Amino acid sequence: MIEIHNLHKKFNNSPVLKGLSLNIDRGQTCVIIGRSGCGKSVLLKHIVGLLRPEQGKVMVDGKEVAALDELELDALRSKISMVFQGGALFDSMNVTENVGFSLIEHTRIGRQELLERVEEALGLVGLGGIGSLMPSELSGGMKKRVALARAICIRPEIILYDEPTTGIDPIAADSINGLIRSLHDKLKVTSIVVTHDMKSAYHIADKIAMMYKGRIIMEGAPREFRESKDPVVHQFIHGIAKGPITEAVDNFK
Amino acid sequence: MFTLFFVDLGRKVLSLMHFVGGLTNLAVQTVYLTFKPPYKTERIIEQAKKAGYDSFPIVSLVALFIGFIFALQTAYFMQRIGSELYIASMVALSIVRELGPVITALIVAGRVGASNTAELGSMQVTEQIDALETLAANPVKYLVVPRFVALGAMLPVLTLYANIIGILGSYFICTIKLGITSSMYMHVTFSSLLYKDLFTGLFKSWIFGMLIALISCYEGFNVEGGAAGVGRATTRSVVFTFIMIIAADCFFTALFYFIFP
Amino acid sequence: MIFGKTKLEMKVGVFVFIGLVVLVIFILSIGGFKTWSSGYHVKMTFNFVNGIKVGAPVRFAGVDVGEVQKIRLDFFPEESRSNVNLDIWVRNTVKIPSDSSVWVNTLGLLGEKYIEIMPGSDYSRVLTEGECLVGVDPLPVHKIFNNAENLLNNLNDGISRIKNKEGTLGKLIYDDTLYDELQALVTDVRKNPWKLFIRTKERK
Repeated sequence: MIEIHNLHKKFNNSPVLKGLSLNIDRGQTCVIIGRSGCGKSVLLKHIVGLLRPEQGKVMVDGKEVAALDELELDALRSKISMVFQGGALFDSMNVTENVGFSLIEHTRIGRQELLERVEEALGLVGLGGIGSLMPSELSGGMKKRVALARAICIRPEIILYDEPTTGIDPIAADSINGLIRSLHDKLKVTSIVVTHDMKSAYHIADKIAMMYKGRIIMEGAPREFRESKDPVVHQFIHGIAKGPITEAVDNFK
Repeated sequence: MFTLFFVDLGRKVLSLMHFVGGLTNLAVQTVYLTFKPPYKTERIIEQAKKAGYDSFPIVSLVALFIGFIFALQTAYFMQRIGSELYIASMVALSIVRELGPVITALIVAGRVGASNTAELGSMQVTEQIDALETLAANPVKYLVVPRFVALGAMLPVLTLYANIIGILGSYFICTIKLGITSSMYMHVTFSSLLYKDLFTGLFKSWIFGMLIALISCYEGFNVEGGAAGVGRATTRSVVFTFIMIIAADCFFTALFYFIFP
Repeated sequence: MIFGKTKLEMKVGVFVFIGLVVLVIFILSIGGFKTWSSGYHVKMTFNFVNGIKVGAPVRFAGVDVGEVQKIRLDFFPEESRSNVNLDIWVRNTVKIPSDSSVWVNTLGLLGEKYIEIMPGSDYSRVLTEGECLVGVDPLPVHKIFNNAENLLNNLNDGISRIKNKEGTLGKLIYDDTLYDELQALVTDVRKNPWKLFIRTKERK
């Protein structure tokens, strides 16, 4: 479903992605782990075509994203949803308008049906009946869940999550994990989750990929990761302060 | 020290070229998307309310004061040469041709342009603009076009208000303090004005409106570095808009002077 | 903004509507309602128009009744002369007798030019649409100066002759003879008032 070949990207002459390759099959949930700032969000933005690669390509459904014209890109984006780190809700609209945004903009469905779809999506994330609130009245965790509702409201085939569980309480985090799991089980949604929350990663992943220095250094099932002897992977998944990752950073300085 | 100066100068020139190029690109996209359906009428009306209706009180207040000041200032000279009657035509021509459009544009640039930059800038910082794009809504279509159309349409309307209120301000001074009769004042005012004075003024304010929208949105889109970045971008936006308004005014005044003598 | 926006539209609507009203007021005031009242066109030919412009007012008996709308320069090769043809718009209520005299006049401090029509008396024949009136040429400035110079020359001549004690006036002013005679006469009459009642003997 999603194939990434040899992806390169630089920002202000400092390389972020250096020949990254990754394949994700239809219906699979892939968790990408790695340290903050190692370019995981950048990778997601390449998949929806927000950024263009300098080298290499990203194929979604057999089509190269960077080569699509405007209409094809819009068609692709009606199949892909992205949940942003901070939620990225539109401040000037209330929750209903935020969640129903795509439906209002791109379809001609009636008001009644629109409200039903929005309420259904909000119900799925456990936030029924807050449609008239403004984003500024919501807590951080609620914002994230509303953003998730906005993503699933268009019934996408692919959902990209940018740190869906960071910054919210463990119970809400677990309910989001459960939601990602059930979307995968019931609707066969292909998901890519970027996170550094290992508990959540083990819970939802069909496959985990570890990103380090702009490349994928290891991919495999959660069990393989838990048993991995690779020092870099070992340090990351167990959260140890001393090890090859931090040494490399120190040497780099 | 000396080389540093040139390095700095070179960087400034490069960033200026970057700005001009980016602005042109945004302008082309905006004009193209303005004419491409679907049309976002509600968004345009929302922006029109912010740009036009909400700016009306401050624009009219300033226009009234400009009228007072200009009448008194002109009277100071006209009384020396003993032709107080021509204060009316002098004030009317200055306000309708220059002061009305420029003062209105500067106020709106400070008020609406700054708020556009701050709004779009914080949307950029909180990834809302990326979110728009992933929801298949073109940010230029969705954010810039309504502001572009609304400011382009509202600034001439505001300028008309500023013109009539400025002339009214000067009318009060002239009839109450300088003893010119009311009908005489109106007669001199309107007999000195020509259609071209009114319409070149309104044309300029249309251009100013589009400039304000484009520059403020461009700066908003290019915010980097969080809340501090939004602040910097807002300052840059207002400064650039002021410079561009004055420069464009100079250009068009010269142009009209030569093509409609 | 998607649900419930009627108030917004109302505000913007009122704002723009009043703006349009202001625009109409401006346009009408600048145009001076001319475009709204009906009128007719007449032609006037001059040899010299002293820099009159399109839009210059036309006054009939000192009242503004119309304006100059077109200025055309005609050249007649067979007569080897040029002619200025003015197209003039006049309000319907104004009747111009065809024996009226027309000339270009100057208004006020700034020297604005206008067309002055002095009404004639023959109201049985008035100008109708498209008819022509021949204008009285204004004196070009250099002619006025020429005339003034001639006048001054003549005056100068007269005054210098007076100064030179020539002619009656010169003698009256500079020659004391008449004064002396009158003085003597008055003295004589005061002394001998009876002389006034005496008949001279010459009559006999």
